[in-house]
Amino acid sequence: MLIGIDVGGTTTDAVLIEEGKVIRTAKVPTDHDNLLECLISPLDDIIRDVPLEKIERVVLSTTLITNLIAEGKTDPVALVLEPGPGMNPDDYTLGDEVHIIRGAIDFRGREIQPLDEKQMKNVAATLADRGYEKIAVVSKFGQRNSAHEERMKAIITGVSPKIQVEMGHQASGWLNFPRRAATTMLKVATQDRYRKFAAEINKAISQRKIKAPVYILKADGGTLPLDKSMESPVETIFSGPAASSMGVMALTPPDQTSVVVDIGGTTTDLALILDGKPLISSTGAKVDSFLTHIRAFSVKSVALGGDSIVRAAGDGVTLGPERAGPAFCLGGPEPTPTDAMKFLEMIDIGDGSLAEEAMVGLGRELDCSAEDVARKVVDVAVETLVREIDQMFLAWEQEPAYRVWEVLQKEKIRPQNVVGVGGGSLGLVPLVAERMNTTGIIPENATVANAIGAAVARPTLTLTFRADTERGVYTVAEDGTSGEVRDRKMDLEQAEDMARKLIVERAERLGVGEYAGEAVVTHSEVFNMVRGWSTVGRLLDVEMEIPAGLISEWTGGGR
Amino acid sequence: MTGKRMGLIFFPAFDWSISPTHPEREERLLYTRDQIFEEGLMDLPEVEEYKPRLAELKDIARVHLCVPNVEAQVTDAHLIAAGSTLVLADAYMDKKITNAFALVRPPGHHSMRVAHGNRGFCNVNNEAIMVEYIRRKYGIRKVAIVDTDVHHGDGTQEIFYHDPDVLFISFHQDGRTLYPGSGFMDELGGPKAMARTINIPLPPETPDEGIHYVLDELVLPILKEFDPQLVVNSAGQDNHYTDPLANMRFSAQGYARLNEKLSPDIAVLEGGYAIETALPYVNTGIILAMAGLDYSHVREPDFVPGQFQMSRTMKATIEAIVQHQKDAWDRRDELTDTAVSRAGPFYRRKKSIFYDTDMISESQEESVRMCPHCSGYMTISSRASKGYGTSDRVFGVFVPLFACHRCREEAKEEYESRKTDSAFDYIYLQDKTADDYRCYSVHEKNERVY
Repeated sequence: MLIGIDVGGTTTDAVLIEEGKVIRTAKVPTDHDNLLECLISPLDDIIRDVPLEKIERVVLSTTLITNLIAEGKTDPVALVLEPGPGMNPDDYTLGDEVHIIRGAIDFRGREIQPLDEKQMKNVAATLADRGYEKIAVVSKFGQRNSAHEERMKAIITGVSPKIQVEMGHQASGWLNFPRRAATTMLKVATQDRYRKFAAEINKAISQRKIKAPVYILKADGGTLPLDKSMESPVETIFSGPAASSMGVMALTPPDQTSVVVDIGGTTTDLALILDGKPLISSTGAKVDSFLTHIRAFSVKSVALGGDSIVRAAGDGVTLGPERAGPAFCLGGPEPTPTDAMKFLEMIDIGDGSLAEEAMVGLGRELDCSAEDVARKVVDVAVETLVREIDQMFLAWEQEPAYRVWEVLQKEKIRPQNVVGVGGGSLGLVPLVAERMNTTGIIPENATVANAIGAAVARPTLTLTFRADTERGVYTVAEDGTSGEVRDRKMDLEQAEDMARKLIVERAERLGVGEYAGEAVVTHSEVFNMVRGWSTVGRLLDVEMEIPAGLISEWTGGGR
Repeated sequence: MTGKRMGLIFFPAFDWSISPTHPEREERLLYTRDQIFEEGLMDLPEVEEYKPRLAELKDIARVHLCVPNVEAQVTDAHLIAAGSTLVLADAYMDKKITNAFALVRPPGHHSMRVAHGNRGFCNVNNEAIMVEYIRRKYGIRKVAIVDTDVHHGDGTQEIFYHDPDVLFISFHQDGRTLYPGSGFMDELGGPKAMARTINIPLPPETPDEGIHYVLDELVLPILKEFDPQLVVNSAGQDNHYTDPLANMRFSAQGYARLNEKLSPDIAVLEGGYAIETALPYVNTGIILAMAGLDYSHVREPDFVPGQFQMSRTMKATIEAIVQHQKDAWDRRDELTDTAVSRAGPFYRRKKSIFYDTDMISESQEESVRMCPHCSGYMTISSRASKGYGTSDRVFGVFVPLFACHRCREEAKEEYESRKTDSAFDYIYLQDKTADDYRCYSVHEKNERVY
């Protein structure tokens, strides 16, 4: 048996799955001040009378980190940057406590200016005086050579052993110094509270005598054992939309191209599944005001939901962007798309006479019948969604390309399915699909697709390997590890073999070794370094990942 | 926010090279990629990154007479580099961006009107293709191209030599000391476009101070007077003090400040082969300058401010060059009148062109009608020897963008009559007024229309 629980912005959903079938579901309103209780009460609901030894897996998806950051409840972190030459570091917006240290590493990982240790010592003393307990140290190109970051950490610890120091190269290995700095800062700012939360969950689970492993869902649709997730809790941000997409993957036939339409009260989240693979944002998630390196699904949030306020404007209507409360037919104050759909008998919720009252009122303003106005509302909603979906595909097609083959191969792709999940999808999704000449799907259990997605998501993992044979070193960005490369003539095949070995080790370290076999090479490239007229070495880049996917135990959705 | 919104296409062509060890190889913009991505420049609100596209063959034919045809002279990489400039041109003309930088390869400024092969690492001229696309599509007329590459932009010069509406200014290391060996002060343009070509051959080892003197005292005042509708920077980066193929002393700060002052509408990358020591810093500097951001922290690791000083002799030399070309610019109308009256009804000249990359020797005979109503139609007969006794003989007829009726008609007649001339293998018509580009094979007796 599999358990999935998704703590969403409005409701918390839980499912119990047995042999590819959802056998129990539970739904409670989310109480943001007591997330633990939110998780546990539906859990207790669905495991009542279930033989606990049959539970194989519990997966949680929570808004904890999102809330901490949105409410400013993260721990204060000072940022120490070693930017070297380039942009003026004052032009980065990375918070109030930012200190700049002299020293520089270049793009090949060579030291081009020694670290100013004296300056670092002074800054450490100042920060200790100011009472900072957490410091993020980030060098430009620190992922290519972490020596300065290590030294900065040692100096700070020397000044005050109490201070927790997080290094940029261990938060992210990708190029983009300001994103790496923000990611490092958020990582260390959320760790303690997350740890506390995870400990409470562990306690609650063991009190219930559940022996199954507990996983947490990340923004990239992958799971990670709860204990291992404490290292970088910030990766669990935005797991809600990821859960919905994974749910759609689970509930629709494999290898298809679908757009996921999750219509909530205030907003609609759109996500893409291309040939069965959820589309990951190419740059990283935006968290609050920070651009980060957190891998997340590419999700577009549209300010249109079932409870959006409908207003008369000219001879038409506008929808949203605000919500004044529930739909009129459910006792709310303003007419909404939900009322229009109820009036047209497209959905079956709320009070029909209230829906009629809402539409008659609007019709009076526009000088037309209640039916005409209801149709207008539905048309505008459908048009808006179709336009946003089109733009999402266009944006995907317009992603930059840096190689000839990438420019040549990018084709125009349009979805086979429009899949609706979430409360508000029932009425609109079939119409959106019709307008787009595609198949509209509202899967069975669509309202708990997010919890299903969590329950059946498998782990994900990335590995970014780079070897510089002239300098005789390799680095693994994600771990911040490096080693020696003796063979100057290392070829791509050897580099890929090495990356494969390293990702297996990494998977085992993170407790997801059983999925290491699913790892694939997503990008590999070699550059000959030519100086004068001879080749002096090679740069080999290999990127691998265990992509988002479903665990093999899942047999639903036409599998 | 600086109020700037700069369009950027970064197309490093990581899978294209002329040959594995050639300076134009996959690795050229690798470290530039590292630097600009690590800086996070693509995330800046002032920078909008665009995706490249392929240029149409017609876009190439609008500028070049490709022998025997466009497909034979371009690879997909060339079409993408040229196409990138067109994407940015459209975004700029549609006012979606305030300025643009096409950080693309392969380069193009040594490609001339007739293209038999690769010269100076270039097959087709990206700036010229972009300028003619913009003039055709958006109806603007006056354009200035400032070539800031260390090598003379001989291809761009040749393409617009007779066009009084295109001001071409090139400063470069003196042609007596560097490829392509041209770009002297007396190359001032065709009779009807005198001093619309301004060459500034600089002594080797000219530092920031010298180049900025040229910019302040000559280039910017001329631009101001010419008052173009579009300013293009043909932005080579090989004036840098570490460039392996040239001998100048320009710095990343110098390049950034140049772009700030010149404030080009669109910049297009040309050469620059100090791939580790210069390009990452120069490109970061240019992008920041064009985005209106502070570039004062951009510095090469080994750069010491003030390390390159001008000698008194060098200063005097540069001052004399600037004065000489200033005079030429001031006397442009007089020079034009004299040259036109000296030319008679047709201006004719003979040229030899050497393609260093492909080892082709071309000899050309050019003829331009000295039309009182327009810049005049032109013909070129060209013979290219490719070694082993093989050669291509072609004849081209060119109608400029704002040609008068008579020039158009005469040009068409000339094209038709040449179709039976067995002295040539191919006959071409490039009619920019009608946007009509044709190639006729004398042996196969068939016509190709772009």
